[in-house]
Amino acid sequence: MAILIDNVTKCFGRLRAVDGISLNVKRGELFAFLGPNGAGKTTTIKMMTGLLTPDSGSISVCGHPMSTDAQLAKAKIAFVPDQPFLYSKLTAREFMQFVGEMYGIDRRILPERIEHYMGQLAVTNYADQLAEGYSHGMKQRVVLAAALLHEPDVLVVDEPMVGLDPRTARTVKDIFRDWADAGRTVFMSTHTLEVAEAIADRIGIINHGRIVACGTLDELKAKAAREHRLEDIFLELTDPKDPPEMEEAVVPM
Amino acid sequence: MTAIESPIPLAQRSATEPTFWLLLRLKLTILRNRLRQLTDQTPLQLLMVIGFLATIWLGLFLIFDQVFRFIRHYEKEAIIALPYVFHLFFFSMTILLGFSTAVLVYGSLFAREEPAFLLTTPSKPRNIVAVMYVEALFYSSWSLILLGIPLMAAIGNVQGLRWHFYATFIGTFLGFVPIPGAIGLVIALFIALYLPRMAKRTLMYASGVILILVIVFWGRLWVISSTDNITRQWVHDLLGELSYLKAPLLPSTWVSKAIGFSIQDNPADAAFYLGMTVLTGLCMSHWAISLVACKLRPAFGRAHSAPTHTRKYTGWASRLLTSTAFFYLSAKMRAVILKDVRHFLRDPVQWSQLAILFGLLSLYLFYLPRSRSDGFSTQWQALICFMNFVAITLILSTFTSRFVFPMVSMEGKQIWLAGLWPLTRSQVMWAKFLYAFTVTAVAALPVTWLSIRAVELAPIIGLAQIGATIACCIGLCGLAIGLGARWPNFKEPTASRISSGLGGTINLIASVALVAVNGTLFALTCLYAMNHRDLRGLELRSGVALGAAILISLAAAAFSMTIGIRKFRHQDF
Repeated sequence: MAILIDNVTKCFGRLRAVDGISLNVKRGELFAFLGPNGAGKTTTIKMMTGLLTPDSGSISVCGHPMSTDAQLAKAKIAFVPDQPFLYSKLTAREFMQFVGEMYGIDRRILPERIEHYMGQLAVTNYADQLAEGYSHGMKQRVVLAAALLHEPDVLVVDEPMVGLDPRTARTVKDIFRDWADAGRTVFMSTHTLEVAEAIADRIGIINHGRIVACGTLDELKAKAAREHRLEDIFLELTDPKDPPEMEEAVVPM
Repeated sequence: MTAIESPIPLAQRSATEPTFWLLLRLKLTILRNRLRQLTDQTPLQLLMVIGFLATIWLGLFLIFDQVFRFIRHYEKEAIIALPYVFHLFFFSMTILLGFSTAVLVYGSLFAREEPAFLLTTPSKPRNIVAVMYVEALFYSSWSLILLGIPLMAAIGNVQGLRWHFYATFIGTFLGFVPIPGAIGLVIALFIALYLPRMAKRTLMYASGVILILVIVFWGRLWVISSTDNITRQWVHDLLGELSYLKAPLLPSTWVSKAIGFSIQDNPADAAFYLGMTVLTGLCMSHWAISLVACKLRPAFGRAHSAPTHTRKYTGWASRLLTSTAFFYLSAKMRAVILKDVRHFLRDPVQWSQLAILFGLLSLYLFYLPRSRSDGFSTQWQALICFMNFVAITLILSTFTSRFVFPMVSMEGKQIWLAGLWPLTRSQVMWAKFLYAFTVTAVAALPVTWLSIRAVELAPIIGLAQIGATIACCIGLCGLAIGLGARWPNFKEPTASRISSGLGGTINLIASVALVAVNGTLFALTCLYAMNHRDLRGLELRSGVALGAAILISLAAAAFSMTIGIRKFRHQDF
């Protein structure tokens, strides 16, 4: 298994953001992770990438448990967050150079690899300008190029299509599909159901911290017992009943 | 898509661990790019910063030089007093450095996006903490260098000391910085772990408490030392207040001793205390880094966890305040002001800075009458009146530069909304000006009144001070809003960065110049008023000086608002 999530729970005070979820994602699979806002998608991803520690359960990436072998597990992962992070005072080239060295890529091939992925994602034209002047779409492309640089076994992406123009969105979908076909794993959370429908091998739907459905598109349709579109299945399974209650403080200002 | 094969096998690649030095090189690259950008794009700003720094260094050197030359005349007293100067200086630095490192490290490790990025890479938490710690020490030690270098040069110049004094001084400085730094690092961890939702507020309250304690301490010292009857008991009382500064376990004591022995040309004892300081700094840093690295992930998780409770903002208090204070404006303009009022009240960074600055001034004014049991002579009244006016207007200048100047720019990416409002653009500008003026006047006038009462000023001169303060508020707010619209920065989301740009720099210079001109004219007002023995009247010259101060402030506001409104009217959104 590329990703193994076993009965993981995460609470923030009284709020159970993730409630005993279990997931496994095979090597060479493109897994789409869907859910409404506040369902627990980002919390799950943060635990997978080592940003948060689960309160219970375990997570393993490529056979390395996050709790004991975090550094080895992270060496296998690349994470592209929904809000792309770049050092504002570095150029795209300098940032990719830094990421390449961070992941131990041989200095003899690093420049060539940087040029390859910059060309792939059309970043070359502004590679030597400071990142503070980039638009959101440009930043997204640079961060994705940097993520692919060390050719990770597991690519985790959170909302990859936000802010991308149609041409870039198509390029990104093709990259994800090719990546999975080459035997690597892509774990993608998205609100764009058409993207999940078009390219995902399996789809998982989370609501109120629990997995409410997981399987191929055909399996989900069978579960819904109707020949519906993914959007209809999603809306049916994530009906907003009984939202979690939180304490409320009243502020007069 | 074809991948490029690496000659290094996968197993070896996955075991590679990025080092502390890689992260440090990253920081140095960022610093180099920042400096290059400054020299290429804003050389004027860089030159101004260098110029200001050089002026401050030179000014401090001259002041310290004069102080030490003065002390040198009283040899016996100097032997007692001089060590206390160092003890007090380094004790204060311990607190300030610890606090500033805590703020910087908290921001680096728990508040920004960078640690989220680094924690998902194979970087060990220890390396991440170490490089952020070193970065924080570098930035927070600038204040020490700013004050320390002139101090060192002045002592060396006055005493005619040899090279080992300078080496000891610099070495002890550098060795001392990690001691409060390590304490600050642990404080930052504590806040992230146990007060994650209250980090900003905690740091704000802590800074307020520290500054209040400092003022209380200085106030007590001032009250004790303000006497014409210097006796053995008086010296005993004064030194008694300062005795805790020489506690042997305080790092500030070791630093003071190292420097003291170096001045006495005793390199052996100086080296002992230098070594103790350096080794303690290294040990404390090692322990602090280890502790924080061990707790980094859970602390980061807590600092970024979802809120366990929500806040329901009803907004009735801000609405009531706005409709009362701005009753004379149309409902549409009041709506614009209400938005800014809520932004101000819900951001503790803004109002707390104003509260702290004016709170400190109020404390100082509280102690003022107690320092002279026989009251103030006319000359003292005039002098203190002038000094209070300058202090209040300098604080206003700081506040308007930091918070009022960015107001137009902070509309940011949604500036197009301002273009769609059913208001003319000049109405929007005047709404912002009136809001800024009201806030600054509400803060400044009670303190002005307190300062008038503290020295029992006569009503006419008191009114003159109030009038000059109000005019200065108008001038500073007009400058900040007008220049903020003339040189906006809609791309930058952070107010502090907007203030430090080209427009912010111009506004700062203009504000300081206005305060300087107003201060000079008000000084003349007070000087000429002293012709009346009890300051009960304003002669013509006083009136002219006061009138000129008021007119200049109003003219500065009118000019700035005019050029700002003109630019804002033609702004493309």
